[in-house]
Amino acid sequence: MASLSGRQFRAMVKKDIVMELRTKEMIMSMGLYSLLTMVVYFVALSQTGSNFDPRDIAAGLLWLAFIFTSMLGLNRSLVHEKDQGCLEALLLSPVDRPVIFFAKVIGNLIFLLAVEALTIPVFGFLFLQGSSLDIGSMALVPLIMFAGSVGIAGVGTLLATMSVNTSGKDFVLPVLFIPLMYPLLLGAVSATAAAITGGPDAMGGFWIGMAWVVGYDVIMLLASYGLYEFIVGA
Amino acid sequence: MKSASTRALIALALGGVLTLGAFLGTFFWAGVPDFGFVRTAGRAESVRYQGPFKQEVAEARYLQNYVGYRAEVETDGDIVQGTITEASDDAVTLDADGDSVTIDAADVTSAIVSGSTYGRPDWGQKIFYFHVPVAEISFIVFAVAAFYSLRFIMTRRRQYDQKARVAMEVTLTFIMLTMATGILWTRAAWGVWWEWEPRLTTYFIMTLLVIAYFVLRNSVEDEERRALYAAAFSILGFIDAPISFFITRLIPSNHPVIERGGLETPMLVSFIVAQIGMLLVGYAIYQLRMGEMKLTDRIEHAKTLLEG
Repeated sequence: MASLSGRQFRAMVKKDIVMELRTKEMIMSMGLYSLLTMVVYFVALSQTGSNFDPRDIAAGLLWLAFIFTSMLGLNRSLVHEKDQGCLEALLLSPVDRPVIFFAKVIGNLIFLLAVEALTIPVFGFLFLQGSSLDIGSMALVPLIMFAGSVGIAGVGTLLATMSVNTSGKDFVLPVLFIPLMYPLLLGAVSATAAAITGGPDAMGGFWIGMAWVVGYDVIMLLASYGLYEFIVGA
Repeated sequence: MKSASTRALIALALGGVLTLGAFLGTFFWAGVPDFGFVRTAGRAESVRYQGPFKQEVAEARYLQNYVGYRAEVETDGDIVQGTITEASDDAVTLDADGDSVTIDAADVTSAIVSGSTYGRPDWGQKIFYFHVPVAEISFIVFAVAAFYSLRFIMTRRRQYDQKARVAMEVTLTFIMLTMATGILWTRAAWGVWWEWEPRLTTYFIMTLLVIAYFVLRNSVEDEERRALYAAAFSILGFIDAPISFFITRLIPSNHPVIERGGLETPMLVSFIVAQIGMLLVGYAIYQLRMGEMKLTDRIEHAKTLLEG
């Protein structure tokens, strides 16, 4: 049975990836969106003085881009499922609901990580040139990115499953998503800021933020996993 | 039906009397606490005399805080006594029996100031007997809403969805009251209307979550789906409530915390009475709204019967 669930899980993740490779819709829209966010950042920061240090707000700006980009992606991924009747077919097929949940979470996580992997270098190239960066501590950034993205994908998949069935799809998801994300964002931004600033003092702050995010991931993933079964069938 | 609403009205009246009584009673019984040491310039009518004080100043530049007070300033064994007329970071000027003496702050070896302390009555503190019970009830009713949401998911019985929804409405009411009183108090005590401080921030997030709950409800047409989504969201959202409740004890925060044994008897008794009163008010609002929902249901039912 375990291997059957495993096969179903792999098939569903593969389905998402194949569809994405054919249409390239999510990566394109999310990547473009995050690039556009960079343009908006540039405009927002264009009036800052010469002694302004972009490292101070880099973590916040990065997570701002991720959170809004992820909402776009989450909405897209579930809208596809619903419009093409895929979700109904999945529900009719003998697949356990948790398998559907985790397959969707992993699918969303992969796309989110791909977009983040594109965004970070672009952000660094556009805003952090000339800043002295500690490569050793910067290597921790992917770690917190991953931990934060797990939470975003987990809660986001559940909320997006709800919001695609509401009358105001695009409006409902942010209203539900952003307040729920607040604890994760707080921890993720503080940890990322510590990693970007670097230095021996920052490591304590990084691991506190990291622990906060991982704790949030565990609680929220368990809650989402428990609730998904009821939501997806409604 | 009748007895439930009668009970609710009795609870409302009793709760109102207790809450108001506790609030007014503290003025007579617990009095108005002092705001601590304040300078006397201006608003002299609103300050209370507390008694004489005499203390040493740690650094000479702190003498700026004691202009108008008596001071004994020691410089290399020489002691000058007088009233401080002027002081800055670098020098202090004393009026010693008509002679004006200016001393460099660097030369001061020790300084003792004396005078009278005054306390300003802290009227703003009185909001404690309203704001804190209201905030506590908002957490309790949120917990009730999450509980009924869980019950609904387990049983799928419509009455639990109704109860969760009404509890959520009561939560929103109490959250708004907490916010309103809290904002007034922060203006009085901290001098700002709002501060991004851990308790305030997490409570603001809780407000947004409760509002989002109603946004979600309003945007789903199908009744069973609406109930399920709302229940799931209220359970997820409730995770913020304990964070908001305990955060002042975990992270350094400006928001005051009641410590065990930190309240004097008159304050403690007034506070407990206010809590009981507020709990009754919350219960009454909940029951009255529930009664209204039931009546609406009956009307709808009657309408369908009449239409045939």
